[in-house]
Amino acid sequence: MNVGCRRWLVIAVFNLTGATLSGERDQLPAVLNLVVGNQSKEAAAMLAAGAVADARERELARAIVAMAAPPLSEQRVTELGKALEVLADGRDDLAAEAHYLRARLFQLHQSEPDWDRASAWYRMLAERQPENHWAQLGLVKLGLILLHAPGPDDATARISAAAALPPRIREAELRRDLHLQIAWAGLAWERPRAEVLRHLLAADEIGGLIGISGEDLVMQIAELSLREGQTAQARRYFERFLREFRTSPRNFNVRQRLAELELLEQGVRTP
Amino acid sequence: MTIRVAHWQTEVGPGDGFAAVIRRYEELNPGVRVVQMIIPPRVYRQWLRSNLAGDKAPEIVEFGVWLEGMTDVPVRYFESLNHHLAKPNPYNRGTVLATDPWLKTFEDELYEQKLNSPEPGQYYAITLTRSSLRFFCNRDLLRAVTGSEAAPRTLEELRGVARQLAEFNRSSGADARLLAGSADNAIAMMNLYIAGSTTRLSRDLDREGLLALYPRQVSWRYLTGEWSFRHPAMRAALELVAEIHAQMKPGYQQVGRDEAMREFMRGAAVFFFAGTWEATSLRRLAGFPIDVFRCPQATADDPVVGPHVLGPFADGNNMTGFGLYLNKRSSAKTVAVDFMQFLTSREGNELFARHSGWAPSVREVPITDDIRAFLTPEDGYSYVAPYLSAGGNARALFRRNLHLLAGPAGGVDRLAAGLDAGMREAAMADLEAERKVAWLSALPLDARIAAAGACLRLGGGDAAGDAATRSRLEAAQNQSEARALLIAAQLRMATPLERALTEP
Repeated sequence: MNVGCRRWLVIAVFNLTGATLSGERDQLPAVLNLVVGNQSKEAAAMLAAGAVADARERELARAIVAMAAPPLSEQRVTELGKALEVLADGRDDLAAEAHYLRARLFQLHQSEPDWDRASAWYRMLAERQPENHWAQLGLVKLGLILLHAPGPDDATARISAAAALPPRIREAELRRDLHLQIAWAGLAWERPRAEVLRHLLAADEIGGLIGISGEDLVMQIAELSLREGQTAQARRYFERFLREFRTSPRNFNVRQRLAELELLEQGVRTP
Repeated sequence: MTIRVAHWQTEVGPGDGFAAVIRRYEELNPGVRVVQMIIPPRVYRQWLRSNLAGDKAPEIVEFGVWLEGMTDVPVRYFESLNHHLAKPNPYNRGTVLATDPWLKTFEDELYEQKLNSPEPGQYYAITLTRSSLRFFCNRDLLRAVTGSEAAPRTLEELRGVARQLAEFNRSSGADARLLAGSADNAIAMMNLYIAGSTTRLSRDLDREGLLALYPRQVSWRYLTGEWSFRHPAMRAALELVAEIHAQMKPGYQQVGRDEAMREFMRGAAVFFFAGTWEATSLRRLAGFPIDVFRCPQATADDPVVGPHVLGPFADGNNMTGFGLYLNKRSSAKTVAVDFMQFLTSREGNELFARHSGWAPSVREVPITDDIRAFLTPEDGYSYVAPYLSAGGNARALFRRNLHLLAGPAGGVDRLAAGLDAGMREAAMADLEAERKVAWLSALPLDARIAAAGACLRLGGGDAAGDAATRSRLEAAQNQSEARALLIAAQLRMATPLERALTEP
């Protein structure tokens, strides 16, 4: 029951295994699991507690642990950037991950984002290791920059540039995320509904969205289809909404919309 | 081992409910002591912030996303409960909920968390109760005024009661009010009636096709000039606000909800508009019988707001509340989760409901007739549409300007002008606050995603679990990050737009 005791037990076990010839690298998953679990202080303590066999993995873990306690000072960002650039010099998964994280420092962790350099690093990674997960994730982040970073207010050009990326993203869930964001940017910049619907439907086809977004997606396809005159598709998605999201406070609104749709189909009145 | 649970529910009822649950839990777990800490609402934010920052906060704390100036707190200090919520609650063994994942045992499947989680897809809280907004009625006074105990069902019927009350006061020398008044319950009522009487406008502003207006949409649509407080629908809604204002005692803006409750308890007001969380206090302390009425509705033929309503509006919903969060830095998280599970098991939540008089949050928990009146069927539009409360700045703006209704020069036009004078700045500040929360949510996820990816590379663990975790975190970050970027882009656009509208 006592997590504090368990933590010390983990550290003790780590120290024991650290003394074995084969055990040194085994501590890294424990450190990394602490980071995944939002326990950055404990991860830093565990990482500092002993040697790690693989120097590159250790250096990357150090960078990850440091990034787990944001915001970072400018000096720290510079130090981490240099370390990651060294690690990124390779063709393996670790190098790809380091490369990706270097771009993230440019985009998210500096006090002033450097959109151009972040974009360049994402593009470079996608050229170098196009199939690697970090390159694929980088394309999603590149898409977000293309959609929203400061620059000319040319919505058509922004959406077009971002829309060129999904065909290059082979990992379905990442492709879904970018389709969704292109659709939502399209709504914000008042792009034609048919164009928005294409991206929403592409995201829905992949599925698996988390949080309120899954519910919003089904609702948007239903309502925008109705406004676009695609009544059969609107009905299908409204009905699906009621089936899948039985606890939503929007259910009354949906039922009213279905009633209006019924009237529309009978030619009685326009919703 | 001792764990602490802190909340701000000082009303009569919830403290008793907690005490009953704690007694039973300590019987089942003799090695554990649970301490209930009831912190007055006025100091709760400061108390919580300082204790979290000093690593001295209780294991379990009540929190709400609407608490002003606290939007960064969940991601920084609270632990996601997803892992636990995916599995059955062990305290439901032997009940009809035994095999349901904990999440599915809540009436609304923790919808508020789904809606407002600072990290999409993550559930940070469990909830204890369901609530709605109601008119609490002094039955004796209503009968004396109208000769009937019947609830007014429409705004026109409510206006009728107001007219009868004026006559009653004239003929009897009494000075009763239609509505017990304070800034808190007046503004809550005004919020509800503005949202409920502008549903046509809300549907028009919903360009995203969500059949709802989230706070960020309300702020953004204001900045694009698509609505203002001089819009015909909004102006009509402010007329309604003025009617509410006129039915409360002068100076109500200067007093808090306790004063309104005292006014009602003295028999000086026919109705007290409040959340059902006040019901236990009212029922236990009042010296007269109290009825609980649904909120009178604006109808299509209403002379003030009729043209602007789509139909009846929701005066409550299925959503559960009284959110309890797990302190990420606690050394007793396992026990704390165990207590949270008991608290929201069928047995624990029934104990809480029975002793607090509050509606349960958990399915299959028996409900008494008293509590049944608090539940709202699915019978009204709900566009959310927080025109007066899209963020802390908009809320403060309304509070600062409400007095413009009063006095010889006061009125709806003056209030609308006062609100419009400050709303651009408020909307921009509220959007910036939301952008910052989204950015703060995205920031620490880089490390967590990278760590999950490194775990996958190193192998030897739960590869499928690591992959699922990484995928979930990536999806959450993509959403938060995109939202932060989109709002930043909107703010960049709004700045020149504002200049264009204000410069000669």
